[in-house]
Amino acid sequence: MTRKMRGNMFTTSESIEPAIDTNYDLYFGPAHPGSGNFGVKLKVDGEVITSARADPGYLHRGFEKLMEYRIPLQNAVLSDRLCVLEPLNWNLVHAEAVDELMGVEPPERAKYIRVIMAELSRIQSHMIWYGVFCIGTGFESGFKIAFGYRDYILDIFELITGGRVYPAGYICPGGVRRDLPEGAEERILETLKKAEEMIRFEEMENPTLLSRSKGVGVLKSEDAIRLGATGPVIRASGIAMDVRRDDPYEVYDKLDFEVPVRTEGDAYARYLIGIEEMKQSVKIVRQAIDKLPAGEVIVPELRKPKLNTKIPEGEVYVRNEIARGEAAIHMVSNGSKYPYRVKVRGPDFLHMIPLLEHLLEGAQIADVPAIYWSLNICPADMDR
Amino acid sequence: MEVVVEERIVKDIKANLNIAGEVKRSRRILITLEKEDLLKVSEWIKGRGFEHLSAISVVDWLEAGIYEITYHVWSQEDKILITLKTSINRQKAVIDSVISVWDRSAGIHERELHELFGVNFEGNPDLVPLFLEDWEGPPPFRKDFNWREYTGEKYYDQENEREHVYYE
Repeated sequence: MTRKMRGNMFTTSESIEPAIDTNYDLYFGPAHPGSGNFGVKLKVDGEVITSARADPGYLHRGFEKLMEYRIPLQNAVLSDRLCVLEPLNWNLVHAEAVDELMGVEPPERAKYIRVIMAELSRIQSHMIWYGVFCIGTGFESGFKIAFGYRDYILDIFELITGGRVYPAGYICPGGVRRDLPEGAEERILETLKKAEEMIRFEEMENPTLLSRSKGVGVLKSEDAIRLGATGPVIRASGIAMDVRRDDPYEVYDKLDFEVPVRTEGDAYARYLIGIEEMKQSVKIVRQAIDKLPAGEVIVPELRKPKLNTKIPEGEVYVRNEIARGEAAIHMVSNGSKYPYRVKVRGPDFLHMIPLLEHLLEGAQIADVPAIYWSLNICPADMDR
Repeated sequence: MEVVVEERIVKDIKANLNIAGEVKRSRRILITLEKEDLLKVSEWIKGRGFEHLSAISVVDWLEAGIYEITYHVWSQEDKILITLKTSINRQKAVIDSVISVWDRSAGIHERELHELFGVNFEGNPDLVPLFLEDWEGPPPFRKDFNWREYTGEKYYDQENEREHVYYE
């Protein structure tokens, strides 16, 4: 359209081709309100993106190196910060890695509390996902409503862990820091009703979201595995991969839940997967509260953590399913009180670099926010 | 716990590639190999269903003078995680890239490790810096990199009274 307008306005003869270069560079982020601390350099021809190059590093804090200088007690607190949107899930990955290295088996009650907290964290993370996906596609009410409902879950976190967003290492090596306070179970069950209200709202057919996301950013299943997709992204592309079911940890093998799968692979399918997963999480929390056994919540030898507890020599690779996909920690110890090496594998490291670059190629500029936010991304666990 | 499938895979690898593996526990297999065998084993296990490369990690053993590189690969078919472990000389840190096997999911991990540890992955065309902008120092995750000294020299002013604390 630009080419034609310019031609009519400035040239007299039809035969003269206007000297307009329609190729240009466009920088999406890092100050874009929707991008987070992350940028994508786009090469654009007219309205179509010819190539995309991710530009990470704005949140690189060197967690892996920091953890080499701290004892597990401090690292449990540090692991909160791996992802702002779901600190409890990262707490859990770290705690499991240390548990396995130290050969500690947390008490049954602690395992159930861990699952309850992880699933509540997943629900609130999916609410953020829905919220930012809405604001990315121009449906601002959805954003406000989602963040409003999320606060009910943050209230629960405050009640149990003391922190609304950061639990400060609530899920720690050996179990959890404190038992549930009185009446917490009832409060959680009430909050689940609120979460279900939110799910009903999300399920309402929404023309804005539908028109912006249907058929946009299609990820084929063969590409999904090649580009390292996990979590809701790969499940929206037809592969039923879920660490909770395939490689069960904590008490997930005793709980009954489904792994939702869709085959379309577009942004809309990913959004529908998000809704379905919230429903499953609600179901898991209900069961876990129902089955919650009595007893200790932390192994006795770790109840009062000593500062010079040695981590036995060894090497573990622990995988978890967090809201965004597969999270893992590779921890190596040489027998000192600090871990010798910690490698953190965040799902967004793959979602935001190879996968996003692949999806943006050939897309329209207007579809960038829809594609970007449909991946449920968080720059913090990519950069670490 | 049953480890029937795990043992069968280890036996298959032994029969086909003559490389010993070890069942660590249910769903976990560890294979220690020479770096020359890496591509051969990678291709074989990929063909066997280990399609999802979960992560690549490097451990810097300063005293032994080696980098230990581990590849964690998941098979959705068998629900098993294989860890391939190999070691290279940390002074001459060169290893074959597995980008031909696991494509871009391997490429991005290698790019990160090249930046943080200085490992050269031969065959990876895209090893440009990832997180660190305008970084001039040595690879920062090496154990012999003294970050305290480096940041002191590079980012703080010894003349400045308020920044003395960084030199004490």
